[in-house]
Amino acid sequence: MTEEDSVLVQVGTRDAMDLPLNRSRWRRSALYLYEIPALAFFGIFVGYPILWVIYTSLFAATVHGATYWAGLGNYAELLQSPTFWMTLRNMALWGLITIPVQMIIGGLLAYAIEQYTIRSKAVFRTVYFVPVVTSVVVIAIVWEQIYAPYYGILQAGLTEIGLHLNFSLLGSYDTAIFALIIVNIWEWTGFSMLMYIAGLNAIPREIFDASHIDGASGWRLSRYVLIPLLSGVNKSLLLLGIIGTLQTFPLVFLMTNGGPDNASQVFGTYIFLHGFTEGQTGLASAISVVVLILAAGLTFLQIRYLGTQFLSRKGDA
Amino acid sequence: MQTVLRIAARRWVIAALTLFAVIWLIPDLYMVSISLRTPVNAFDPHLLAFPLTIRNYWIVLTQNPLLRFFLNSLVVTAATVVTVIGVASLCAYAISILRLRGSQAVFALLLVTLMVPLSALVVPLAALLGRLGWINSYPGLIGPYSALGIPFAIVLFKAFLDDFPTDIHEAAMLDGCTTWQLYWRVVLPLLRPLIGFVGIWQFITSWNEFFLALVIMTRNPMKTLPLVPMEYSGMYMANPGALFAILCIIALPLILLYVLVQRVFVRGLLEGSVKG
Repeated sequence: MTEEDSVLVQVGTRDAMDLPLNRSRWRRSALYLYEIPALAFFGIFVGYPILWVIYTSLFAATVHGATYWAGLGNYAELLQSPTFWMTLRNMALWGLITIPVQMIIGGLLAYAIEQYTIRSKAVFRTVYFVPVVTSVVVIAIVWEQIYAPYYGILQAGLTEIGLHLNFSLLGSYDTAIFALIIVNIWEWTGFSMLMYIAGLNAIPREIFDASHIDGASGWRLSRYVLIPLLSGVNKSLLLLGIIGTLQTFPLVFLMTNGGPDNASQVFGTYIFLHGFTEGQTGLASAISVVVLILAAGLTFLQIRYLGTQFLSRKGDA
Repeated sequence: MQTVLRIAARRWVIAALTLFAVIWLIPDLYMVSISLRTPVNAFDPHLLAFPLTIRNYWIVLTQNPLLRFFLNSLVVTAATVVTVIGVASLCAYAISILRLRGSQAVFALLLVTLMVPLSALVVPLAALLGRLGWINSYPGLIGPYSALGIPFAIVLFKAFLDDFPTDIHEAAMLDGCTTWQLYWRVVLPLLRPLIGFVGIWQFITSWNEFFLALVIMTRNPMKTLPLVPMEYSGMYMANPGALFAILCIIALPLILLYVLVQRVFVRGLLEGSVKG
């Protein structure tokens, strides 16, 4: 199978070329000025913070604010904290539910829109993307209102079909995280849809025509032609989904702030709690390092087992 | 026969898409609906409640310095978009076309950013920006936003430029073009559709970013729009209509902007993924 459809690119290698011609060594090295700004931004705002957070995670503070060397003490404290494991569980649920559901709904929408609509194509593409563009703060407050017991429209809608919830979805220990996941899926499905639309459009027309002549349509067309050809999109959505899961913050912070009783704690709110509310910089840094390790580890696994294509268009196959 | 079936199928699919789209938009419709309610029926558990009033908008616009927050968001977002496009296109040009020695290592290093979740950087960024004295200043957000946006833009630009036939650049060089002229006159115009895509996407993400803004913009006059609802949710407890008017003022301009530019956005996305 070729990868020329995929919305991904190979991290390829091309040999340095002897271009520009006839340059002095000095002039040639001056060309690095083109790369320096990007490297500077990376070094200051990404590289340095990563090193800082690793270093700081090895220190703790006394009640009087004096810092002392704690070795792996912060990590030990984390591993013994039930909240840490709750957070880990919530993040696993978040990723395992959000990513596939978004891919399925987004993929179906993309397929329906690209295959069946003509004049209304732009309208549907735009409408389903609206939540992605809507400010997440706005989304959080609106959904809080939707979920609200007594006067929320979800409750009203459920009453219509004879279902009455005698508890708050966001306020209950067992349901809070799922209520948040639903909002997150709603917010980001349009993004998956658009990625699949790009993927579908990258498939050469002839492949569709050939499949039609062969009598493949519907499920068979999807299963044997489209899904394999869209594997690049799947991979980027998986990667983006994992990183997106690990950096979840505003929805949870604004809607439950990790509660009730840490039942909906995610890494973002957990870091905020210790780093800013409680002023435990060392512990917050240790959590950050765990997040970095998870992100790097999962990315590594993905590259190891699914290939090195990376977000963009055609792989060099 | 088959075409008849296809036409029937098309009707059903479009009907389903339309129905689903209406359901999909309920939260946004609900937001607008509440913002247009009087305090009396603000808690009415229906999607629509009458009578409608625009008084809430008048209240929040006269009582709050929303324009100031709007301008803060605009400055931060616009500066980030320009920085990302400029820095990323230069770097992608150097990597893909000039192919400087070591470029692949530079590219691989920058890619690390794509797998770093922002949540892990918030604590160190707050410490760093505190030391730089950039808390409550525009560069305090523009810097990190740009740094997080540049690598993604480089990936897209580089992929696009990699497909470009090299002889054009060689010809330009032989004609005596400097590397800067080649960038400015040839490469940048070439990237235009992708610049539209990257710029719009960067605009959306920076405009809506919440976590870092919460930590960096702690003083009132410097806050960006996403921080505003927290400020006022207590104040309008008894009149949610006013709070939701603020939400509409925050969300609707960006939604409208997207509707206006969605053609450019989608074309850029397709261009980025199709051509080649």
